[in-house]
Amino acid sequence: MNKLTIRFCFCVCLSAFVLSMPAVAADYLIKNGRLVTSSEAGVIDRGDILVRDGRIEQIGSVLDVPGATVIDAAGAWVTPGLFDSSTYLGLGEVESSTVRSDHRLRDSDMGAGFQVALAIDRHSQLIPITRIEGVTRAIVKPSAGSEVFAGQSAIIHLAGTRDFIVNDSNAVFVELGEGGRRYAGGSRAKALIDLVDALREAKEYSNHRRDIERARFRDLRESTLDLEALVPVLARDKPLVIDVDRASEIEMVLDRLGEFDIGIVLVGGREAWKVRDLLADRGVSVVIDPLDNIPRNFDLLATRLDNAAMLAAAGVTVAFMTSDLFGDNRTLTQGAGVAVANGMDWQDAVNAITSNAARIWGLADSYGKLERGMDADIVIWNGDPLELMSAPTTMLIKGQPVKLESRQTQLRDRYKDLRVFSR
Amino acid sequence: MIIVTRVAILMTRLLLTVVTIVFTGAARGDIADPYPSTYSPPAATEVVFTNARILVGNGDAIERGYVWLADGEIVAVGAGEPAGTGAGQQVIDVSGSWITPGIIDVHSHLGVYPSPSYAPHSDGNEATSPVTAEVWAEHSVWPQDPQFPLALAGGVTTLQILPGSANLIGGRSVVLKNVSSRTVQGMKYPGAPYGLKMACGENPKRVYGSKGSSPATRMGNMAGYRAAWIKAQDYQRKWQAYEEKLADFEASDKEDKTRPEPPGRDLQSETLVGVLEGEILVHNHCYRADEMANMIDLSREFGYRITTFQHAVESYKIADLLAENNICSAMWADWARFKLESFDGIEENAALVENAGACAIVHSDSAFDIQRLNQEAAKALAAGQRMGLDMGIETAISWITLNAARALGLEDEIGSIEVGKVADIVVWDGNPFSVYTRTKLVLIDGVVRFDRAKGIVPVTDFELGYRTGATQ
Repeated sequence: MNKLTIRFCFCVCLSAFVLSMPAVAADYLIKNGRLVTSSEAGVIDRGDILVRDGRIEQIGSVLDVPGATVIDAAGAWVTPGLFDSSTYLGLGEVESSTVRSDHRLRDSDMGAGFQVALAIDRHSQLIPITRIEGVTRAIVKPSAGSEVFAGQSAIIHLAGTRDFIVNDSNAVFVELGEGGRRYAGGSRAKALIDLVDALREAKEYSNHRRDIERARFRDLRESTLDLEALVPVLARDKPLVIDVDRASEIEMVLDRLGEFDIGIVLVGGREAWKVRDLLADRGVSVVIDPLDNIPRNFDLLATRLDNAAMLAAAGVTVAFMTSDLFGDNRTLTQGAGVAVANGMDWQDAVNAITSNAARIWGLADSYGKLERGMDADIVIWNGDPLELMSAPTTMLIKGQPVKLESRQTQLRDRYKDLRVFSR
Repeated sequence: MIIVTRVAILMTRLLLTVVTIVFTGAARGDIADPYPSTYSPPAATEVVFTNARILVGNGDAIERGYVWLADGEIVAVGAGEPAGTGAGQQVIDVSGSWITPGIIDVHSHLGVYPSPSYAPHSDGNEATSPVTAEVWAEHSVWPQDPQFPLALAGGVTTLQILPGSANLIGGRSVVLKNVSSRTVQGMKYPGAPYGLKMACGENPKRVYGSKGSSPATRMGNMAGYRAAWIKAQDYQRKWQAYEEKLADFEASDKEDKTRPEPPGRDLQSETLVGVLEGEILVHNHCYRADEMANMIDLSREFGYRITTFQHAVESYKIADLLAENNICSAMWADWARFKLESFDGIEENAALVENAGACAIVHSDSAFDIQRLNQEAAKALAAGQRMGLDMGIETAISWITLNAARALGLEDEIGSIEVGKVADIVVWDGNPFSVYTRTKLVLIDGVVRFDRAKGIVPVTDFELGYRTGATQ
């Protein structure tokens, strides 16, 4: 028997074995949960979820599946794993001028070609620290440092396992506003010119690749790596993510980018509420930190706590992020709750950290809802998931239980009884 | 009962005046109190809130009760229905609402680091010398900072504005009432003790080390504090000697004797002597447990008291030591890892400090968190409860009220809803430990300064044309 035959036999035999004992494949059965599906099914007051092979196999009023490991939620809230739409997870352990991190290029002219996925440390302690708050997925993003293009973001899951990168390049980030002004040489007008120019050149590049490869084309301003990164944006395979706050600038940017058929996501968006109808009309999604209401520069004077509520009410797809990118990604549910306190619909706020994030970031087929076929990122909570005093009690990421432990819980346990220490 | 209360109020005020006189004794200048508060509350209507759930601030709670305010003071509080209300009072049924004391933030830079935050507005750090005990934060406060009304909407009625942490000794703090005023004098809490900002750790050594000057290390930090206190002690001795000579002179027949000349004034040492004489309270920015222990030794060497450690992210490691020394810890709920000295911050910090019998405070140091100190306290409490510590919201509310008042030396005036105290009150539309709860009313000295339903909120000059209506 050659190797191929052996492998074939192994597969067939294994399949036969599994088929004859269906219960063996049933991994986990979560029973009696108050299921916040983030799907059209809404909240199911009492329901079960069958998790098999890392995915949600069945949801609703199930089930007794022999052999499945039963997790009794006993009426507790169950949500999809949460999504933080802006982090530097794995790119640095601490925010500091001396402890270096990998999120920003300083001495390089690379722009869109910069791909942070290549730098992420899956053993970062910030991953369990964030995970413990119910977060199972996150955008890891680049920041602009030398030009308006920051680079490509990644999506990770927070199990910390070898397969932690869900998408090593899901979007291209651009910084306009005050950052863009700085990186473009002194004016936000130039930043927008640079952006439009690069997209036009990327279009040329994708139309004349062969000529360019044979050097039968004029010299290009951008590097081929940077242009390659923009081709999927022009094909609508990835969104262009624009960090911008000022309402007028949002209008101008959307007008100028009208010549391209691209998907646009705004991040920051602190004055987005002022142009919410335009955003809804153009199908532009917005990622905001719902706690951010300080008018700390002239770009965001109109920032306010009901930004999220007004955007959602206007029909804009909203997702939430935390702003404290290294230190703490722990305010995600708090921010969602504050958005509700300031007028946002509760389910919209939950969607902003689950299904809306999935939609915006191109993950809607596999994550973001408690729905058959989705990856089993599931969190069981000891209360309303948006409440300050609630916390996860059980978490699965892609069907596997993860520990609710971190370096911080270890510190807590070390110092909880000070009598063991001598002076 | 009310008459007795009024007497108590008068006594408090009298005491305050005496205290003020004692404080100004530290000023060696010709004018006793050169930068006086001009705050005086407008007349307040007599109001009784009924059917409220009350978190008293001192560890007590009232399931359903009333709070009676008159002349800017709390004149009665209790369970059930108030007796003796009539035409003289406005009785407001606040069923479903919760009442807490006004929220107190012991660590804020509003006004000295206002928004918008550009260099011309950056007035919090006199980072030109590692010891600048001579500067006073009140001289940097911009009363038109739009962050003040945002904090008010979050229920903050009193806040301590500190100089930044660039320096070993950064200068005097000031305690403000969160009221709209054209001048800082109009916000200044009458009679509140001054604080002295000191800073451990990374900031001073980074700021000066990077300029090639001292301190560049933590041991350099310690040497810097010691040098400053030695100088202050010398100054104190000089003045004591002068005052003794002066007393002798005054007691003498004065013939053939010359009146002794006072020593020259030194603003830096004046403030430090104020600390040595117990009139100015030390608020020491210090993250790490080991550095706090060093600072405690330092305070013993020079005979002063540390009132609070600020940003005390590692207090949980030495909560026993802090309890023994009666030092408050002002902490964040969950902000950490933004620099190496904050690396070991844990959410259980405040609860563990409380549990050790030490004084726990939740502070903001942030224009964001100051709007939600109730939420920060909730997160800190929840972490403690999850690890099995037996404490509830009645206790956790003290972290942002009575314990904070204690750290400011104002525990006899504010921080709890008790008869005779100042009528700083927040009415919430639900449990303040819920994320969905917002303030309804904020009263300072019995005067409504924020009313969400009626749209009463200060609009700063800066906000006009830009942000009217944005504070909510």
